[in-house]
Amino acid sequence: MTDPTDHPDDNQALAGELALRVLSPAEETAARAREASDPAFAAEVTAWNERLAGFVADVAPVTPSPAVWPRLEAATAPAANDNDRLVFWRRWAVGSTGLLAASVAALMLMVARPDPAPVVPDVPEGGVTRVATLTLEGGVTAMTIAYDSVTGELYLAPTDKMAGDTRVPHLWLVKPDGGVQLVGAIDGSAASRHSLQGTLSGVAGQATAVAVSMEQPGHTPDAAHPDGPVVAQGAMQQL
Amino acid sequence: MTAILTRDELAQALGRTGQGDRAAFRLVYESTSAKLMGVCLRILSDRQLAEDVLQDTYLTVWRKAETFDASRASPITWLVTIARNRSIDRLRSGSPVRNAAPIEAAFDLADAAPLPSTTTELGDDVRRLNGCLEQLDEKVARCIRTAFFEGVTYDVLAEREGAPLGTMKSWIRRGLQRLKACLEP
Repeated sequence: MTDPTDHPDDNQALAGELALRVLSPAEETAARAREASDPAFAAEVTAWNERLAGFVADVAPVTPSPAVWPRLEAATAPAANDNDRLVFWRRWAVGSTGLLAASVAALMLMVARPDPAPVVPDVPEGGVTRVATLTLEGGVTAMTIAYDSVTGELYLAPTDKMAGDTRVPHLWLVKPDGGVQLVGAIDGSAASRHSLQGTLSGVAGQATAVAVSMEQPGHTPDAAHPDGPVVAQGAMQQL
Repeated sequence: MTAILTRDELAQALGRTGQGDRAAFRLVYESTSAKLMGVCLRILSDRQLAEDVLQDTYLTVWRKAETFDASRASPITWLVTIARNRSIDRLRSGSPVRNAAPIEAAFDLADAAPLPSTTTELGDDVRRLNGCLEQLDEKVARCIRTAFFEGVTYDVLAEREGAPLGTMKSWIRRGLQRLKACLEP
C-alpha cells in the first residue's frame, strides 16, 4: 500500500482536519468513509473532537422553545402494541455505522474482484405469489402489494393515505437476517407495476416483510437503511 | 426543567437511552438541550434554524446512543459534536445563509444563568485549549477558531486570509499538531 494516509502523522492530521471540518466536500466524504471502516482512525477523530470541545465551554446555553421536546417525544414514540417492530428498526438504525463499514468492505471486495458471481437465494421453483398489506401506525391500510417470484413482477396499490405528503415514499424489503434492502422510490398516490431483476428479485422472494419510509425530495437513501421515518410496514405472506 | 447531571450520570443516561429507555432520553434532553441549543445557535445565528437542527440532533442521539462509548468519549463532547456537525451540515446544505450577521448577535439570546453541570466540566478544557491556542501564531489560532464555529473549509479560510490554499493547509496542520502536543504533554 502506498496510501499516504498510512503515515501516522498524516493520519493524525487528517483526523484533526475532519474533526475541525476544514476539508473540501470530496475529501470529507472520503475521510468519513474511512472513519466508518477504520476503528483506529475513528478513535483519532474522537480524540480530536475531545480536544476541540474546549471551544464550546464558553458558548452560553440557550433554552430551546418548549415545543421541541413534544416533537421529539412524538418522533420517538413506539407504535402501539408493536414493540418488536420498534426494536427491529432501532437495531439497524443504530447499526448503520457497522453497515457502512460492511458496505465499504464489500465495495473494496468488488473492486478487487470485478466480476463476482451473483448470489442467488433459494426461490421456490414454479414461483409463488407473495402479498403484503402495509399499515400505518394505528393500523390504517396504506398499501397492498403483490409479488410474483418467477416473473419478478411487483404490483403496488396504495390507498389514499400517503397522498398529499411532500416527501417521497420509498419501498424497502426486510430480509430474513433482519437487514433491509431498498427497492426504490414509489408512487404513493396511484397503483404501479415494477419489474424486479437480479439480486433484488431474489431478495423480494425471501423477504419477510416490506416497509415504506418517507424521504426528502431529491434524496436517495443508502440501499441498506432509510434516512427518513418508516411510516408503514407489513409482513410478506405467500398466497 | 433543567436537570443537573454529573458526567457519570449523563453517561449512564445515554447508555440507557441506547437501550430504548425514553425516561433516560428525556433526562439527557433536559440536562443538555440548552447547551446544545447554544452551540447550534452560535453556528447558525438563527433561532428557528437552530431549533430545527437541535431536533435533528436529538433524533440522532436517540438512534445512535447505543454506539456511545464512555471509555472513549465524554458524554457532553459526544453530544456537542453531533450538534456542531449537524449545524455545519445545515449551513452547507444551501439553506439561506443568514450567518452574515455578526456571531455575537447570538449572545443576545443567551440564558442569564449557565448550566452548572456542563459548564463546570468543560471549564477546565477551555482554559487549557485557550492556553494552548495562545502559544500559536495569532493568525493560525484565529483560523482554527473560525473553522470550529463557522464550519468553513480550507478554501474559504485561505480566501479570507488572502493566503494560498497550500499555505493555509500547512498553517492549520502545524497548528493542530502543536495543539495536540500542548494538550497532551
